[in-house]
Amino acid sequence: MQTFPLTLVAGPPGAGKTTWIRQQLDGAERFAYLNLGADAVRIDATYLAAEVPELVVWSSWLPELADFTKYQTYIELDFHIDLGSLVLPTEFADCHRVAVLPPGIRQTEWHDWADVIVTGTETRVPLQPPQLWRSLLTGQVLDFASLTTVWDELINGAYGHVQRAKGIFEVTDGRSLYFDFVAGDPEPTSTELDLPRWLEGRPNRFSGVEVVGEQLDETAIAQTLKDCCLDDRTLAYYQQQVREFLEDG
Amino acid sequence: MKIAVISCIHGNYEALNEVLLDIDRHQVEQIYCLGDLVGYGPYPNAVVEMIRSLDIPTCQGCWDEDVVEGLNACECSYPSLLAEKRGRLAHEWTNQEIHPETRSFLAQLPLSLRDGNLCFVHGSPHSQHEYMLPDMHAFTAMERVLATGADTLFCGHTHIPYVRQLESGQLQVRVSSGQSSQRPNQQTSNFSAPLKRIVNAGSVGEPRHGRTNATYVLYDAETEQVTLREVEYDYQKTCAAIVEKGLPSIFAWRLARGLEFAERADDPTHVCER
Repeated sequence: MQTFPLTLVAGPPGAGKTTWIRQQLDGAERFAYLNLGADAVRIDATYLAAEVPELVVWSSWLPELADFTKYQTYIELDFHIDLGSLVLPTEFADCHRVAVLPPGIRQTEWHDWADVIVTGTETRVPLQPPQLWRSLLTGQVLDFASLTTVWDELINGAYGHVQRAKGIFEVTDGRSLYFDFVAGDPEPTSTELDLPRWLEGRPNRFSGVEVVGEQLDETAIAQTLKDCCLDDRTLAYYQQQVREFLEDG
Repeated sequence: MKIAVISCIHGNYEALNEVLLDIDRHQVEQIYCLGDLVGYGPYPNAVVEMIRSLDIPTCQGCWDEDVVEGLNACECSYPSLLAEKRGRLAHEWTNQEIHPETRSFLAQLPLSLRDGNLCFVHGSPHSQHEYMLPDMHAFTAMERVLATGADTLFCGHTHIPYVRQLESGQLQVRVSSGQSSQRPNQQTSNFSAPLKRIVNAGSVGEPRHGRTNATYVLYDAETEQVTLREVEYDYQKTCAAIVEKGLPSIFAWRLARGLEFAERADDPTHVCER
């Protein structure tokens, strides 16, 4: 039976699965990535594709088996996928299984499942399945000052206890920004993705947000993010201002 | 004579009550209020009634003006879309909540008050909407005080208390007649500005100094000593009332952390001319 160069990566939210995969891609060629469980909110896939332009991302469709022979493929399993009930093609039986786990935890289902345990970032492993809220924001452009306010409120508990939050947001000056937070991390990060500025109309590239936690006020989060979004007239005005500013050097 | 100066109560009755009790303990002869009695907080009518019943001389704040005249702040006076939307929500709620007599009281408030060499305004002598921040350019700051003719200018609006001394101010003015570009006829005059002082009273009801405590100032006219007072109050009562009365619950969350309801403007000296 043919075997495939395939690695499955699992772990709790915020442990560093995507970060570990990102590290494996440095200097390599012919790599592919698939995120199982992200559905339409392809934050990790978009982040990796921006970081490693030559990466092949299978994010919205399942490739043919033959495609797996062409690439060293990493499949990231979202934390809410039940490892026990995960059924893979028999051809994948020999695949490499990596669990990225916070330091110090033992005897979990990930230990039983994985071939290799990688020590990742400190994060709390929830006893109960946490609440997961996602929203696709593609086409929306947010005012940067508003975004930083709502993000600060979000990660500091204004809308419920947040264990993990990440998002890709389009902002007024055309940049695409990646925001990343894990509870307990003293320095939540935000970085600009290496993508061209979008300064003509509404962006049709992906943006979206994912929040994991407890007692999340999903309605309030959604409404507050909506309040940060520019209408067509305001967006056109600011895009013109930024274009003129950039043209003037 | 010892006076107390309070500002920016923003409908926070619990905070006002506690500050007045603290003032009582210091045996002041006069209290002045720098406005913004309403806006964001849950008890605009009770705050106005308290100020009115105690006959506290009060000047009009920007929120007081907006409730009387209609929302007049242009979008550029908000630092973000979110702050603007929250500001509008608070304005609409307050506008619905206040009684006619509250509105009438706010309408007749003067823009400034004088007491000897002391002047009292909400934002600056030029506008209730202008922020006089502690790092405002010294020339501009000096101009604001000189415009009043007073030696000490009490202001609020920024919600951050401070005392700023403007001493040994040297101003040089060069006037050119412009007869010839080769040899301009220039006259130079030098002025020495006397010691002036700006005192910001902070905020009773919406502190912006990173703690939940209300702030105000005590001033001793004999010794010219300024004391910034910080007063603990039961902010959780105000937070509960915010939610109970239908204001956005994010206001309560922010108040409980010593954060302003909406951040100050990017360009704090900007004054809307619309």
